[in-house]
Amino acid sequence: MRPSRKACPICELGARTIDYKDEKTLTRFVTERGKILPRRISGMCARHQRQVGTAVKRARYIALLPYIAGFET
Amino acid sequence: MRDYEIVYIFHPSLEEEGVTQKLDRFHGLLTGDRGGNVTEVDHWGKRQMAYPVEDQTSGYYVVAHFAAPSEALPEFERILKLDEELLRYLVVVNEGDLATTPVPPQPKRDEESEEEGEEA
Repeated sequence: MRPSRKACPICELGARTIDYKDEKTLTRFVTERGKILPRRISGMCARHQRQVGTAVKRARYIALLPYIAGFET
Repeated sequence: MRDYEIVYIFHPSLEEEGVTQKLDRFHGLLTGDRGGNVTEVDHWGKRQMAYPVEDQTSGYYVVAHFAAPSEALPEFERILKLDEELLRYLVVVNEGDLATTPVPPQPKRDEESEEEGEEA
């Protein structure tokens, strides 16, 4: 049997788009190493997964989120 | 004319007045006879960066909103790149304050799939 699909966590928050400057929220969608969570883990709908992906990449560029977390340079 | 949002990261040795001076110079390239205008400037101040940029571990962040004709941007960005005390910048098209693509409410699925009960 297929596992039951959870509702998209962002749809549940209401009609809100994702802000790349809001790193507190974005950290919920990356692993502890800083990778973007895949759809099967995050449970997001396609639109929100795309938006989160873009937002995380922008946040990385302006150094709000690390490209690789958990090591010191 | 389009609405843009820009994030600046300045060298952490700059203080607020130094940053304001630079911003005035940059924004002068957009306003006036260029036909743009800056609607909002938000100083976040100094904050830690997630990784070093140009050998700096912290930076002075400023977020600004502006409207400008797209032809004004290449020259604007050229000047930004010449500034050594501007560690990095990011210009994005401002999607309006979260207004342009409202997410329609999702139709509720069957309740039986909601067994985990980890609502935030």
